[in-house]
Amino acid sequence: MAEEPHPSSLFSGYPSAPGTYDELLEPGGHLRLPFRRALAPLASTSPDAITRWQGLAERALLNQGVTFSVYADSRGTEKIFPFCLIPRLVSAEDFSHVERGLEQRVRALGMFLDDVYGEQRILAEDPLLRDLVLGAKHHLPMLRGLRPPGGVRIHVAGIDLVRGPDGVFRVLEDNLRTPSGVSYVLENRIVSKRVLPKVFEEARVHPVEHYPARLSEVLRSVSPAPHDDTHAVVLTPGPYNSAYFEHSFLARTMGLELVEPADLYVDDDRVFLRTTRGPRRVHVIYRRIDDAFLDPEAFRPDSLLGVRGLVRAYAKGNIALANALGNGVADDKAVYAFVPQMIRFYLAEEPILAQVHTFVCARDEDLRYVRDHLDRLVVKSVDEAGGYGMLMGPTASAAERDAFRRRIEADPRRFIAQERLELSTCPTRDSATGALVPRRVDLRPYVLTSPAGPWVLPGGLSRVALVPGSYVVNSSQGGGSKDTWVLKARDSGRNDP
Amino acid sequence: MIARVADHCFWLGRYLERVDCTARVLHVTLHLSLDAELGPRQCWLPVVIVSGEREAFFAKHGEEAAADGELVQSYMTWDEQNSVSLVRSIAAARDNARSIREVVSLEVWETLNELYLWSQSPAARDEYATNRYAFYRTIRRAIELCRGLLQSTMLHDDPLDFLSLGLLLERAGHSARIVDVHHHALSKNEARLEVVETGVWLSILRSCSGKEPFMKRHQGRVTGPAVAAFLILEPLFPRSVRHAVAEAHARLLSIRPAGARDLPGERTLARLGALDAWLASQTPETILPIHDLATYVVSETAGICEEIGRELLGYGGGSAVS
Repeated sequence: MAEEPHPSSLFSGYPSAPGTYDELLEPGGHLRLPFRRALAPLASTSPDAITRWQGLAERALLNQGVTFSVYADSRGTEKIFPFCLIPRLVSAEDFSHVERGLEQRVRALGMFLDDVYGEQRILAEDPLLRDLVLGAKHHLPMLRGLRPPGGVRIHVAGIDLVRGPDGVFRVLEDNLRTPSGVSYVLENRIVSKRVLPKVFEEARVHPVEHYPARLSEVLRSVSPAPHDDTHAVVLTPGPYNSAYFEHSFLARTMGLELVEPADLYVDDDRVFLRTTRGPRRVHVIYRRIDDAFLDPEAFRPDSLLGVRGLVRAYAKGNIALANALGNGVADDKAVYAFVPQMIRFYLAEEPILAQVHTFVCARDEDLRYVRDHLDRLVVKSVDEAGGYGMLMGPTASAAERDAFRRRIEADPRRFIAQERLELSTCPTRDSATGALVPRRVDLRPYVLTSPAGPWVLPGGLSRVALVPGSYVVNSSQGGGSKDTWVLKARDSGRNDP
Repeated sequence: MIARVADHCFWLGRYLERVDCTARVLHVTLHLSLDAELGPRQCWLPVVIVSGEREAFFAKHGEEAAADGELVQSYMTWDEQNSVSLVRSIAAARDNARSIREVVSLEVWETLNELYLWSQSPAARDEYATNRYAFYRTIRRAIELCRGLLQSTMLHDDPLDFLSLGLLLERAGHSARIVDVHHHALSKNEARLEVVETGVWLSILRSCSGKEPFMKRHQGRVTGPAVAAFLILEPLFPRSVRHAVAEAHARLLSIRPAGARDLPGERTLARLGALDAWLASQTPETILPIHDLATYVVSETAGICEEIGRELLGYGGGSAVS
């Protein structure tokens, strides 16, 4: 096929960001080979049409109430998660690599948790890891020796991936407690299909709509009661939680009841729901509340959120919690540095997915390096999420770096550092000018695990930094999202599940 | 179902009905004030009284203000301090639905959310300013759409029953209050047709969407007592007190069957059943003085709502489960 430029293409004149990998375009401005056929209809669309469609998409999201609440605002103001209509594509080949890598990683992380709350074999091998794990904020020693119902701990994982200038996907962060965002994956898909039906149809994209059904199956698969008698619920802190939309979305699409802590109580180490017809037994809780707020009896006596006695019921094996208690010790940002070691230790395999080199400040030589190279490193606090509590060394002022250096020296265990990654970009519609501009993206695929093993949703949340040059894609800090189109392999049938 | 969820369903039903009733009364009164030979105060004061806002309105704007149709409309439409204004009721309906999004169907939620977003937008202010009828009609149509979607897109089980229960009890109370406010006019049994009073009677019927059904029953002969009896007792008119109470009773029976002694709700069922039976035993001939009748119905429906809260919705500590 002739290598023709696209003079009239939507993508012509796209100002690629030097030194970064672009998800859709090659350095010369051509669409990447695996996407040429799929994106041809989009490329021949006029910018005016895109602007019109973008308006339709935003209207649809607002009317559907696809919103998140803003924490800083006590009135619980809702905002739509900014959405860019231009999709982010992943080739069949790339995704199959990611899929195998994620299955391997989640399997090893599950075995690590079993080990930490069991024999602690890996800790005996590595004193530093031992100190990090036993001192981690999310480590719950009281769970030692307790096997969760069904033997599964990481029912739902959201693993953040980024792509550097070399085009290689790397794991940036594991989210093994209550990873959020999957509702936007499904909602973004609905909007894409509604607004870009022809483009979507041509592209041959893996569906994502079966996620709630799979999740519901996973929940039943770990129930202490027989499959058909299982009563599973979704537990939310309530409508003012920032992820409330997602909680209600998942409950609705799984056909499960959405409950708040006060709707549940524990009697005789069994969990019941208060209903208009009296108490009803509950067997599985898909909980979207952190460990610390689940049970005031076990964790924080001051918490108004929890269900008193829930941990006792859990210890008796009468209730399955998804995700399991205590998972935070495995997605700790310092423990992250040891995941390749875990994969080798538990599976005797080499890691399939690369990850970002990480300096663990608890390690003396790493601490020395970090102290002297703050201007080129990104420093993160191990127990804060959402892009908070971090230092972007290259853009911070000297005073900010000094202040952060003192924080690190005061408590090295709490910090890790990484080289700043040139995150890949994806063509994104600038809402002011309507032009396509390069904006940095990450990718959060979702992995569900039942007793039969892990399964990866062929898709994921592509978060995009909407501010020019920004590296922070978190929704709490002005990030937006895109629909992620994982293309089907060339030879697979149209009705591939 | 979860008592908290039942509570949201019940109140969603009540607020939906309240929005509809308020919009309809404003719509009809706007009409009445143009073509009946009534003073503005006679037209607009009843609107304030039916909504239960007499004291608050007088305190805020003075007694004379009840003659100011524009002021009454803006108070009943936009006033954020007025807990029964249209914007407040729409927001309250939407808040209840938002708390139970997994329970109401997506179609119902979207319709209600769109109504809410519109009511908060400049487009709504614009329509209010330039085309008042269209403004009220937009709101009424959105509520009609919600009601239709509730029936056609949701399982007909407990959540919908609680929603309908709230909606029907709100309706019964509203129809009773309308009759009560106008009981002087409705008590006059004039043999000859007075233009002014016929106008009021017809407008009372219209404010309950009852003009055409009434005409079908009475072949065009309008009298005050006949209108009152129709709005209270007509078993086949969906907005009559009797019909709304009988339907509410049926919904409650499916939530809490009569023989189910182990389920909560016994007192509520007894009281609602008694009101239903009492209404069914009345005839236009034996009917109490209109004012007494309407007052009785208003206080009974309010009492039944409190009982539901105590027995079924988990209010005041004595929750639905023991």
